[in-house]
This record gives sequence, structure tokens and C-alpha cells, in this order.
Amino acid sequence: MKISLNELQSVCRKAFAGMGFAAGHADDAAAMVAWMQSYGLDGMKALNEGLECVVASAASTKPNVIYQDADLAVVDGQHMSVLSSGNLALELAFAKARIRGLAVIKIRHCRQRQLIMGYLSRLADRGMNVTAFWRHSQTPLTEQVVGFRARSAVPSIRVFELADTPEDDVPNDGVTIVMANHFDLLPTIRSEDEYKLLARHDESDLLAARHQALADGLAVDPEVWQQLKDFAAKTLVEASEQSRSGAGPAE
Amino acid sequence: MTQLIPTVEDATLSLRSPATVMDLERLGSFSPTRLSFARRLTRTMFEQKWQVSCTQFELDASGHGSAVYRLQTPTHRYHVVIFSQHLEDDRRTDRVIAEAWDVTFCLVEGEVDAELMTAMSANVPLQEAGRQQSRLLVISRANKSMRNFEAFVSALASGQQPDIEYLREAGYLYRTTAVYGNGKFGIADYDRIKGSEDFQQPFSAQMAAVYVLREFSVDQVEHIAMQRDPGRAATLSADTRRYLGIGNSTGLGMAPFLINHPQLISQWVLVRERALAVAVAQTPDDSDRDRMLALCCRAATYLADTLVEDEFQRVRNGEAHEELKQVMSWLEQVPLDDTLWQQLLDWAHTQLSLETQELLNTLLIELYPQQVDALNDEMGANENLDLTPDMPLIQLKQILETHFDWAIDADYECKDARYWFWYQSAEKEEPRLGVRGEELGEEKELGLAIGPSAKGVYQDLVELLDAQPRALTIDLLMAFPEHMRVIRRIQTMAATVYGEIRANLWHRDMKPMHLLRAKLSFLGAHRFDPRGDRWVRVTFFQGAPLLSDYADSSTPLEVFDDWGFPVTPGAELTAAMP
Repeated sequence: MKISLNELQSVCRKAFAGMGFAAGHADDAAAMVAWMQSYGLDGMKALNEGLECVVASAASTKPNVIYQDADLAVVDGQHMSVLSSGNLALELAFAKARIRGLAVIKIRHCRQRQLIMGYLSRLADRGMNVTAFWRHSQTPLTEQVVGFRARSAVPSIRVFELADTPEDDVPNDGVTIVMANHFDLLPTIRSEDEYKLLARHDESDLLAARHQALADGLAVDPEVWQQLKDFAAKTLVEASEQSRSGAGPAE
Repeated sequence: MTQLIPTVEDATLSLRSPATVMDLERLGSFSPTRLSFARRLTRTMFEQKWQVSCTQFELDASGHGSAVYRLQTPTHRYHVVIFSQHLEDDRRTDRVIAEAWDVTFCLVEGEVDAELMTAMSANVPLQEAGRQQSRLLVISRANKSMRNFEAFVSALASGQQPDIEYLREAGYLYRTTAVYGNGKFGIADYDRIKGSEDFQQPFSAQMAAVYVLREFSVDQVEHIAMQRDPGRAATLSADTRRYLGIGNSTGLGMAPFLINHPQLISQWVLVRERALAVAVAQTPDDSDRDRMLALCCRAATYLADTLVEDEFQRVRNGEAHEELKQVMSWLEQVPLDDTLWQQLLDWAHTQLSLETQELLNTLLIELYPQQVDALNDEMGANENLDLTPDMPLIQLKQILETHFDWAIDADYECKDARYWFWYQSAEKEEPRLGVRGEELGEEKELGLAIGPSAKGVYQDLVELLDAQPRALTIDLLMAFPEHMRVIRRIQTMAATVYGEIRANLWHRDMKPMHLLRAKLSFLGAHRFDPRGDRWVRVTFFQGAPLLSDYADSSTPLEVFDDWGFPVTPGAELTAAMP
């Protein structure tokens, strides 16, 4: 089925509120899902694949900061969705980058990392150059790099396959974000020989996808949509005769 | 889009203070101005020579069926598609919980082919319950004023003109009960049209759809009259046609918009205030004063002509009517001075009601089209509530104390100060008000009351600042993540000129009607007629030009555009003179 971007954002906002997200965090989570969906990156699928995790993460809006100094922060994502506390962790890095010129934040043990792109977009729009990097725990090992130019809400995205898998036992469930106030941090492949490019989304492709989505509506899975509407319904108050008077006289 | 920051020009203009303007009761006294969206639409249609024509009119003898009107602008083509159906009286309700209406209609971008028509005829009449097409820019519905409709058809069928008195109580044949845009139920997102030449201004597409419905309402009654008695049926006189508007019935559903779009509302207010400041700064001559007297006279006649059910509003209108006579006396007695308009406003501020003060502001703006009309282009806003996480907390504290003093100084503990809570009902998500502690649903309260939230931030901020004097905003948020939404809002709105509506929306004495009126005034609604404290009927486009008026290219714009405060055709304008 087709829906509008505003519908998606509005229903998601209410659905996250229905799951228990605090108001500002429900807004942000909804914007993150809607951003991905509107650029043709299937945010709804990303959301749906970890929906149980999102519900379990709803109350975890406070990031668990393991370490921080003026330039660097390490946050334990506690195996929760980035939708819950990713926004605050990124704002922490944004504040450091604004003060220090460059900042790095590592969010360890987090889930649904793709969805973080929507929030990075907002930071870029506020004038920050942003690059995010993460590895997928699969064989062969893949790396995803996402880069936003300051004042552009649209990224360049690359997914690479590594020819050689390094021998370490560190789980690939984190994301590293670098923010720079004054210079670009775009994903440029360092050596064609060592990596195989699996996927590439340039700004122009993504803009075209968004233009199409706004023109035709956004295609969503009706079952997932209904699930979200069911969560959203939890924010509504059952009608009664008393409540009907709360909207004023009928005529 | 316009930046929401003070401009150099503002520094030289004498803008009223946010504390004065953003007071809810004052906002609830606003009248529509020439910058209102309805006026703006007809002006644009005239200047750009939009062509409106009926391309399909397939109604049966009872007026049921479909009609299509084409809107041709200099660059694009649109269509308004209207579906009319029989509706049993017991199903006719203006509440959002209604499931059927006399007419449903939509504004479509581009052509309407058979496939689209089939999809629309299956879905547009269902409104919220349907899945709408992405080429629809607006979707709406309307119910008949049964009394007027039948009276008009009967009179015309017998070859007579309807008694104009019918229009004093309700100046329309149809009243809309919701006019949806921006992606509702699958229609086009505002993001898609805000770059368009024709409908980039807020609510311009909605206004266009309603304007065409007005044309349809006349075509439909004439059609039914003709079917009823082809030998005798008359057509409606031009004066009566022009005096027919489109009603609108609005409830609490409109209120959250004012709170959820603070940047847009602040911008609308800023544009209105800039226009007022520009007008007040003009040096009036005799002809300006004469024109102001004539406008006061017309407004007084309009008020005398306006019948409202609500006692409170009736008293306000009566008071304004009497006070306008005082204004006319004042204008005739006070020497013509360079600062006449400022003197008038100063006098009005101390002597006259809010209703009259704001009415005078509207009339002053009306005086100077050449100076104020360009401001109309600034009614849009990029709506992004952005966080500044690196802002020192001491600065955030200063912002709260400077721009949110009205919020942090208020007491939210006494019972009356936290009397209401706002929520959304499961019935079509209708916004409602409940009494705290008495009604169910408090735990699902909508966060519309900004004042208490801002005070909550302030209290936590002061505590954190005591412990960490060099803390940043992000430190406060890491400790209190629940403040995310309101801190973003505080930081963003502090950079605007007018900021927030200053009211405690929990307070027992808070009148949601003021919120409704503020928005309706910007849309361009006349005949403000509250039905209780949460429901209001208004009229759009009463007195507005007819389609045939656009064809007369000899009409100067100032004549064509002069339709604020419409009075009954033939009414004696001098009746209100002292």
C-alpha cells in the first residue's frame, strides 16, 4: 500500500509514544524511520526486523556513557535499538565537535544501526560534516560507510566487502561516528584492491528516490503498517459519553 | 522560505512586544486582514489571471452526482472534483466523527482521467476511511445549510430571488467540516508542493478548493431549481452570489495545530505585526483618513449585520460596534498629524476593548496595500526545532528567564492551574479536553501545555547548574532525557521574534476558542460564531469576487480586492455613523 511521508512520520511518532518512548525521543525515532523510507532505503523493513528490540528499548533513553573526554566518547548501547538513545549519544558528539572542531563517538553493542542515518542527516543539516562506520557480523565481513556533507541532508553510502577477515574477537555490533565542524568526511575508498564495493548510493540517487516517493507515495507493507497503527492506538483514549462532551456540543 | 530571525527592518519598525501580542486573549481577538490566506488567494488569481471553468457537471434532478472544475494557472493545471450525494438528516453532523457528508471534494494536481476518477469516486466520499491518491493536494467535505439550501432552491425554482435575510444567520449554502492537506490519508505531502509556483504559501491549496466549492454551491442550487421548474427557474443575482460564502465548522481539532507549529504561527504573527508597524509609520493625508473612516463605517455595519448565537461573542461584537463609533468621532476631531495612526492605537489601547483594538489594526493594514502586500510572501516557515547541545546551561537559563518568564513564573500547582488535560480520543483521533483527576485518559495526555514543561526544565536546570556551573545543555539532557522535546523548542523559539503563545493550556480559565479564532483569522474567516466554548462556525469568501468578476479586466485591483468585512447587499453603510 502507499502512504504519504507525513502519515508515516505521524503514525510512527504515535507508535513510538505508544511503545513508551518519551515525547522528544518518539519524535526523533519517527523521523529516523521516515527519513530512511523517504530516500528509498526501506526504513520500515529496518524497523520491523527489530521491532521487539525497539519495544524493549523504549524506556532506555539515557545513554550509558562508559568514557568521555573533550574529544571522544564511548557509549554502551546495551544491545538496545539506536532509536532509543542514539539521538542523545549523537548530540553529545555534536556538542564536542562544535567545541573542539572534531569529535569521535563509539556506540557499542547497539542494534538497528542503519536507522541512525536519519539522525545523522539532521546533524549534517545543522552544519556538521559527519561520517559513520560500522561492520556487519557476517561472512564475508562487510563494512558500511556513510558520509554527509555539512548542510546537506543527503549522504553518500558505500558498503564494502573485506577480502581478508581480521582475526579478532571483538563483536561487530557497534558504530563509530566522526564529526568535523570544518572539513568534509566523505566515504572515499582508500584502495580498490583490498575492498569489493557491494553497494553504492550517491546523493543524486537518493534525491531521485525521495522525489519519486513524494510524487507517488511511499510503498509500505500493510501488515507492518497495521502493527504500527496498533501501537499508535495505545496513545488514544477510549471514547465515552463523558469524553464526547470534551469536544464540545455535537451541533 | 523566510528565516525566523529579526531583520534589520524590524529594528527600525515599531513592532509590538511579544508579551502584548502573544497573549492568548489578544490572539483570540484577531480579525482577518488583507494578508489572510483567503484574500491572498483571490488577489493572486486576479493578478495571475487564473482561469476556472466547469468541465463536467453530471448531477441528477436532486443535485446528486459529480462535477469537475478546472483551475488553469499560468504554469499548471489543477481540478477540483466534487461528489454530491443524498444524506439522511440523522447522519448529518459537523463533528469529525461523522462518516458521511452532503458533498466531498478534492483538489487534484494535473489532469483527471477515467482511472483516477474511478479511484476518487470510490475513496473521496469516504474521507478518512478511504485511501486517497498522491496527486490530491487537498481533500475535504461539507454539509448543507438545509434551511438556506431549500430556501434558495424554492425561491429560484419559482422565478424569485431568495430573501437575503437568510444569509444573515448563515452566509452560505455549504459549510466544510474539515479541509485536509499535507499528506492526510495518502494525499500529497506539503513537502511536495511547497516549491510550486501556485500553492507554496500555507493553506493556499485548501483555500483554492474551498473557493471552487463556493462556485459549485451556486451552480448546484441553480441546477436543481431549473430541474424543478424549467419554465420559471431564475438564476441567482450577482449581488447575492457574491454575498454567498462557504461556511466552516471547527472544533478542538484545530487547536493542536497552533501549538504543534510554533515557528509557523510565530511567523504569521510577525508578518501581521510588520504590516501593522509599516501602516502605523505612514504619514496620513486627508484621503487616508477618509478611507479609514469609510472602513470603520463598513466594519461597524458588518458587526451590526452579524448574528451570532454565543452571548459572549454577541456582547463583544456589540461593544466593538459602539466603540467604532467612538473611533470615527476621534478621527474626525483629532488634527491630522504625522503620527495620527500611532496616536489612534495609543488611545485605543487604553480606552477600547481588545476586539476593537485588533479590528483597528486590521483596518490600518487594509489602508496601505502597496506597502504591506509584499509581506504576504513571507508567511511560510522552515519548521525545524533544532537542538543546540553545546549551549552553556547558564545561557539556556537566561533564555528561559527572558523569553519564557511567563511560563516559569506561573504556578502550576493549584487545582485551577492544572484543571484541563488534552488528549486524543479513539474516535477518529479527535482532540478533546478532560478534567484532570475526574476523567479517564490523563496518562495519555498530549504534551500541548508548553508552560509547565518549560518550568520543569527550569527547575532541573537550576539544580544542575548549582552542582556544575559550567554545564552544557547536553549535560542537562543526559541527566533528564525527557526534556528533549521542550529544550529543542525553547532554544529554537527564543530565536524567533514572537515566540510562543503565552498561555497555560491546563488552566481552568483557558479558552480554546481563542486558539481557534487566532488561526481562523489568518485563514481569512469572517462571522466568528462560537457554539459553546469548543466549537465555532465561520464563513469564508463572503463578499469575495465571483468568477465572472475576473473576466472584467477593466476592474482595478484595489476595487476587485476590496471585500473585507462584507455587508448585506443594499445595506445602509451610514447607519453606523455617529
